[in-house]
Amino acid sequence: MWKTILRRILIMIPELIILSVIVFVISKQLPGDPFTGSINPKASMSQIHHLMRINGLYDPWYQQYWNWVVSLFHGNLGNSYQYQEPVTRLIAERAVNTFWLSLLTMVMTYAIGLPMGLYAGRHEGKLQDALVRIYTYVTMSIPFFVVLVIGCWIFGYDLNLFPTNGSVSPSASGFLPVVLSKIYHMILPATLGALFATSGITQYLRSGVIDARKSNYVKTAQAKGVPMKDIYKHHIMRNAFLPIAAFAGYSIVGVLGGSLFTEQIFSYPGMGLLFLNAVNFRDYTVMTALVLLYGFLSLLGTLISDIALSVVDPRIRVE
Amino acid sequence: MKNKELLKVNNLRVHYPVRGGFWNRIVDNVKAVDGVSITIHQGDTYGLIGESGSGKSTTGKAIVGLEDATKGNIYYQGMDITKKSTRRKLKYNREVQMIFQDPQLSLNPEKRIADIIAEPLRNFEKLSKEEEKIRVIQLLDIVGLGPEALYKYPHQFSGGQRQRIGVARAVATHPKLIVADEPVSALDLSVQAQVLNFMKKIQEKFNISYLFISHDLGVVRHMCNHIAIMNRGRLVEVGTKDDIYNHPMHIYTKRLLAAIPETNVNQRKAHHENRLAVEKMYQDHKSEYYDEKGEALPLQKISETHFAAIPKSRVNLLKSGSGEVSD
Amino acid sequence: MQKSLETGAQLSKEDLIKLSDEAKNNATPSTFKIIWKEFKADKMALFSLIFLVAFIVFVIVGSMFINVSQMMQTNIMNYFAKPFTSNFLLGADAGGRPILEQLIVGSRNSILIALGLTVISSAFGICYGLISGYFGRVTDLSMQRVYDFMMIIPSFMIIIEIVNIIPNYNAITLTLLLSLFYWMGTQRLIRSQVLAESQKDYVSASKTSGSSNLKIIFKQIMPNISSLIIVDTTISFAENIGVETGLSYLGFGLPVGTPSLGTLIANANDADNITIYWWTWLPATIEIILLCLAISYIGAALRRATNSTQRRSTD
Repeated sequence: MWKTILRRILIMIPELIILSVIVFVISKQLPGDPFTGSINPKASMSQIHHLMRINGLYDPWYQQYWNWVVSLFHGNLGNSYQYQEPVTRLIAERAVNTFWLSLLTMVMTYAIGLPMGLYAGRHEGKLQDALVRIYTYVTMSIPFFVVLVIGCWIFGYDLNLFPTNGSVSPSASGFLPVVLSKIYHMILPATLGALFATSGITQYLRSGVIDARKSNYVKTAQAKGVPMKDIYKHHIMRNAFLPIAAFAGYSIVGVLGGSLFTEQIFSYPGMGLLFLNAVNFRDYTVMTALVLLYGFLSLLGTLISDIALSVVDPRIRVE
Repeated sequence: MKNKELLKVNNLRVHYPVRGGFWNRIVDNVKAVDGVSITIHQGDTYGLIGESGSGKSTTGKAIVGLEDATKGNIYYQGMDITKKSTRRKLKYNREVQMIFQDPQLSLNPEKRIADIIAEPLRNFEKLSKEEEKIRVIQLLDIVGLGPEALYKYPHQFSGGQRQRIGVARAVATHPKLIVADEPVSALDLSVQAQVLNFMKKIQEKFNISYLFISHDLGVVRHMCNHIAIMNRGRLVEVGTKDDIYNHPMHIYTKRLLAAIPETNVNQRKAHHENRLAVEKMYQDHKSEYYDEKGEALPLQKISETHFAAIPKSRVNLLKSGSGEVSD
Repeated sequence: MQKSLETGAQLSKEDLIKLSDEAKNNATPSTFKIIWKEFKADKMALFSLIFLVAFIVFVIVGSMFINVSQMMQTNIMNYFAKPFTSNFLLGADAGGRPILEQLIVGSRNSILIALGLTVISSAFGICYGLISGYFGRVTDLSMQRVYDFMMIIPSFMIIIEIVNIIPNYNAITLTLLLSLFYWMGTQRLIRSQVLAESQKDYVSASKTSGSSNLKIIFKQIMPNISSLIIVDTTISFAENIGVETGLSYLGFGLPVGTPSLGTLIANANDADNITIYWWTWLPATIEIILLCLAISYIGAALRRATNSTQRRSTD
């Protein structure tokens, strides 16, 4: 087992290196310079050239890349031109917000998806099942950002049930009010994100339950006189739940990918919004660091799910 | 009359690497075929018999070129065709074709019969559309199917008909050798004989040689003049029909022979007792016939036509003139 | 010996033609016919199909009569003109630009890009999966490493970065760029199916019949996965509508001055727009929802049609 894990981690290393090179080279190709219009509008060209030189922006790309990697290992990702503070600190601030939002989204996803999939599978072909299938069909078809816009409009603006801006109310003070305000701000984006993410889980669980119900081992148990309730508990749910739990890693990759839209629509100060602002301000250091971080997190999520699945399902282990 | 040599397999080995360990290096080999030599003469039917996993199918696939030989050589009419490039240059598969075990799988379900049978023709012969169609109809006629089959799909036929279509495809380019990999074992008993008769008819008509691969010595008896028994990747006994059926030397061969069902009801009891006796003998003497790794011994010459993988001591016993070796 | 074959069956030309005709009548219905039958049995699917085709034709033809540069000019006189008036059936945005015309041109742009993206990325994904699954071994191993890598890169972010690099990009370069990142799902699906198909004996039979690998892949294996391809391509189309519009929504899609459904929905980013001037973004949003639902429904009907156990039509 540990061999498989170690080998998967070793495969990660070249992937990360290639990713970092691609991301770095792309960042260097971005037009314009990061100083124009962001520091002092009266700065002359020679002053800008001077700034570029002392920041090493005139070195060949591999030189810059090497410097960047070396400083990366020192935990130094450079300074943001836009905010004039270390990228690491900037990202760390925002990452906390994205982390909590993603976590809540995941929780909501499982809280909605599991009962729904199970319920639909149990009542296959009946009205309940049809409703769940319509739900998964609709959420799977419509683009994610459209769901967000509609949800934000209806629940945020029209019904005015939830805040549509920021991560915490400026008037909140004290530990508990701040925490409650933060949760309040996250509920709508997290639920909408979850609505989108549940369809996969629901469908998987539903067909898992249906397949299990038709399988011979369940028929055997029924023939032996085991009550259906116990069959669900001991046979069907166990077999269907484990892989779904193992999917968490893949789900988090999806949720992170959606954070660009979620944070844009709800003006939620997380990493996704930071990235979009950085692109507009040509803030290379922030962009590069964020793309790399997102790539690293995707890698990690995939790795966790791959390993978890191979633990859960012995058929995957033998490659 | 001695026919001329058509195909010669010399010490063929097909090994599959087993990968393992941290770096996924080759740690072992599965020896699917481990040093098989056979010679097939023109117009002859050569039976290759063994249980599943004995490597008989792999040998057949290596002969038609579907598997690469790890070691050893295959000569066709004296030419070494072990390499893929030479096979392609010689249009080897025009001369050597294959009939597959399960016609359900070997006929493309999305293709019409006309296209299926014409496929080798299109690749090996340049025919006009009209010529091609006439040829396909003739081929269908040979296997007892009418021209109305042309535009149908495989699923519209019964298992026996499908296998006849497979036979028609195999003879399309007038090959000299056809490797028949268990051609009837996926079929109902009732249509097995029918397909075998078509194969025999075609053999007489075109002077085709067959390499007939089977696990069933009963079927082979009616088809083959020469037989090789294969076990765990190696040949354990080679000989004429008479050698194998009337003078089996290897315990594995004896066991296979005992397994042929007896149709004569009166003999049932005797047959059953014989089977038990052979099985007991097999269990008692197994270790003498296989080396410590469980691999078969090298073949020993018993007569001009008969070879068996038996211990040397037994060969000497035979030579000293004690006649039949009693077990 | 060979002569006997030539003299075996003599058939006149007329007989041959007659027989071929008879045989054709007996032949099994083609995939297309089965699909058509299924659509006739499922009125909702038929309606979706008609709606989709009619809509696409309408926006393509309609946008031919619209002068885009003139339409996109700011006209302060019509600032947030109200909908359902004679000049502005769907009102105007903050720049006084008519929403209805923008919607027609934007739909055309978005749909054509999604179509192009679907064709290119699906074709690439299908070829990739076919080759990887058919050849197996080292080919498959290395191709799947590339796939693994493509799966972990944050594609949306990288697309946004690249869009900022390319100096003069248009709808075509954008489609090509997006195609680089949206072939993986198709690839995975096709490969797993091809892995199973390649093991079947009809592939071996084709090899011994002397067919080349390319012929086997595209003429023998591909017809056997055609239903999978049809269904997957349809569903990809629905997904791909979200790709360009999403990118345009964030402001990194089509260049400024080129309307898209995404840029129209992006009007919702403004708190005033989303509440007061609903006509600037809501029509585009509803349209996207209807389009995607229709395409997905067609995809579901196709899936049923190609799976004989789920068909609704009766034979």
